[in-house]
Amino acid sequence: MRLYEHEGKEIFKKCGIAVPLGILVKTPREARQATIKIGKEVVVKAQILAGGRGKAGGIKMANTPEDARKIAQEILGMELAGYKVDSLLVEEKLDIANEMYMGITVDDKNGVPIAMVSVEGGVEIEEVAKRDPEKIASSLIDPLYGMRGYEAINLIRQIGLTGETLISASRILSRLYNVFTSYDARIAEINPLVMTNEGEMVAGDSRCEIDDNSLFRHPEWQDLRIQRINNLWEREGVRAGVSYADLDGNIALMANGAGIAMALMDAIKDEGGHPACFLDAGGGLTKERMKNGIGLLLRKAKSDPRIKVILVNAVMVLSPADAVAEGIIEAIKEVQVEIPIIVILVGKEERRKRAQELLKDSGVKLYSSTEEGIREAIRIVR
Amino acid sequence: MAIFVDKDTNVLVQGITGRIAAAQTKLMLDYGTKIVAGVTPGKGGQDQFGIPVYDSVQEAANEHRIDASVIYVPAPFVQDAAFEAIDARVKFMVIVTDWVPLHSEMKIKSYAKTKGTRYIGPNTLGMMIPGQTSLGGILAPAVKPGGVAVVCRSGALSNEVAPRLAEQGIGQSVVLGLGGDPVVGSRMIDILKLLKEDNQTKGVLLVGEIGGTMEEEAAEYIEATFNKPVVAFIAGRTAPRGKAMGHAGAIIMGERGTAESKINAFQSAGVPVAKTLWEIPSLVKKMT
Repeated sequence: MRLYEHEGKEIFKKCGIAVPLGILVKTPREARQATIKIGKEVVVKAQILAGGRGKAGGIKMANTPEDARKIAQEILGMELAGYKVDSLLVEEKLDIANEMYMGITVDDKNGVPIAMVSVEGGVEIEEVAKRDPEKIASSLIDPLYGMRGYEAINLIRQIGLTGETLISASRILSRLYNVFTSYDARIAEINPLVMTNEGEMVAGDSRCEIDDNSLFRHPEWQDLRIQRINNLWEREGVRAGVSYADLDGNIALMANGAGIAMALMDAIKDEGGHPACFLDAGGGLTKERMKNGIGLLLRKAKSDPRIKVILVNAVMVLSPADAVAEGIIEAIKEVQVEIPIIVILVGKEERRKRAQELLKDSGVKLYSSTEEGIREAIRIVR
Repeated sequence: MAIFVDKDTNVLVQGITGRIAAAQTKLMLDYGTKIVAGVTPGKGGQDQFGIPVYDSVQEAANEHRIDASVIYVPAPFVQDAAFEAIDARVKFMVIVTDWVPLHSEMKIKSYAKTKGTRYIGPNTLGMMIPGQTSLGGILAPAVKPGGVAVVCRSGALSNEVAPRLAEQGIGQSVVLGLGGDPVVGSRMIDILKLLKEDNQTKGVLLVGEIGGTMEEEAAEYIEATFNKPVVAFIAGRTAPRGKAMGHAGAIIMGERGTAESKINAFQSAGVPVAKTLWEIPSLVKKMT
C-alpha cells in the first residue's frame, strides 16, 4: 500500500529525518490560513497516490496567502493520474542549494534490501540510472543485521560527499533504513533530499509503500488500505479475501492460482475475447471463498452490461467437490442475474463426477477441458 | 538423489494440524512420502494420521532423522518456523504458506544462506519427484516419472501443465513450484544449476510469469552454461501495467518484468517459448 507524501513525512519526522514545516488542508480557505501560519512563501502540493504530480500541474509555488488560496482552488478537485485531488500539503518553500536522491527497496536478484543514493535528486531515479548510471551508488544490506553506520558512510562517500555533509547524509540514510524496516516498507524513498543554503538536509518529498502482507503488524494502516483502493470491485475483492483486478472486457474470469488465471487471461485474448476482470481465488478453495468469488463476479456482471459470460476454472485438488458446487449454487441463489456461467472442473475423476452431479440442475455449463471451456466462452461473446 | 529430495527423504510437517496442512499431509502420505513427524507448538504428544506431533522441531529432530520440512504455519509465524528448522539443521524446506511478510522473506533468505539450508517458496504448491516423493500439494494423477523437469513460478500452473505432458506420454523428473512472491528461496537459475547435474533430467520446461527478473537471469545462464534443452512459457502477456495479478511478484513496474523482455531473453538464448498452455506439449516433445 502506497502512502501519501504527508503520511510518509510524518513517519520521517518520527524517525528523525527533517521535513519542511507543512500543513495538510482540504479547502482553499485552509490553504490561506496555513500559509499565514507558516509565515513565508509556500509550495502547494496535491496529495495523490501516484508520481508525476509536478509535470501534471499538481505542485505550485505561492508567494502570499491569497495566492495559496487561489492555487488551492485551482488544484482541489483536479484529476491527476486517475486520482481526484481532495487534499493539499502546504509547505514552507526551501532555499535549495542542492538536491540528492536516497532510496531503499528490495533487490530482486538477491532478495535483500538495497540502498541507492545519487547526487542527482528531484528527477526520476530510473532516468538517472539510464542516462548516468555512474551517478548512482548502491549497496546490498543483510536484513539480519541491518544497515551499519560505516556501510552508510561508505555508500555516501561513493557519490563524492565529504566532511559535514557526508556525516549528515549518512545519518539520514541510516534513519531511512530504520523507516524501511520498522514500517515493513517495500520502498522508502526521499527524492529530493534537499540541502538548503543554510546547510541543512530536509526531505523534500516522501515515497513509502508498505508491504500488504505485513499490515497485520500495522493495524493503523489496515482499514485505510481497503478504503484507498480506487476501484469499487477491487475493494470488494480484498473484502472477499480474493485477488481481483478490474479490466474492461466481456468475459468475467476466475481461477485458483494467479499463474493459471494469467495464462487463461492470455488465452482468452489470443482467441479474440476480452477479460472483464482477473480473479484469483487461491488454492485450497473453501465453500465460502468459492461463493464470495463467484458472487463478486455475478454482482459485477449485474452492474456491467458489457459482461456476457462468467468463466470459472475450479481446481479441486484440496477442495471437496461439495464445497465447490455448494459455493457456486449459493452464489447463484444470492445474486439473481441472467448470465451464462461456464465452470471448468479440474481434479480427480470422482471429484469431477460428484461436482457434476451436484451442479446438474444449476444451469451451469460444465467442462473438464480448459481449452473447450474458453472456446465456449468466446463463442458466447461473439 | 534427484534434486533436493528422493524416496528416502524423511519429511517433517510444521503446522501439521492446520486445515491445508492436514489435507496436503494426507495427499503426501497417499503418494508414499516418508513423513516421520509433525510439529505444532502446544500439541506435542498428539498424532495426525498416526504421525507423532511434537512441540518443537528440535524435539522432533531428537527422535527422528529429519531431511526436509514442509512449512504450513500461518504467515505471521513463518519466519520463526523457518529459523527453527534451519537451527535444527534441516537442510531443505518447502514453505507453502501464502501472504508471508516481505521482510520475513528477506530474513529467511539471508539466514538460510548463512546456514546452508536450501528451500522453495513461500507461496508454493511444493514439489514432487514422480514415483518417489511429494512435498506439498502437487496433484499426483497429473505426473508420471520421466525425463522432463517442470519448473514453475506458480504451483497451480504445474497442475495444469503436467497432465498435458503426461497425456502426450512425456514423463517428469521433477515438478516444482518456486512460489509466487518477489523473494523466494530458489530462483530458476538455482534449480537449473541442480538440474545440470541431475542424470534423470533430459530437458527442462520453465513456466514463468510477469514481474521480477528471474526469467531473464535464467536465460543468460542457459545461453552461457546450461547443457540441456529448455522450453519456456510466460504467463501474463496481456496483463496491464501497474496492476498486481494475484501474485505479489506478478506486477509490471515501469520497464521491469514485462513479458516481452522475458520472451525476448529466452528466444535470444535459443529457448523456444510456447505461446499458449496447449502449445507446451508439442514444443516439449520436439525438445526430448
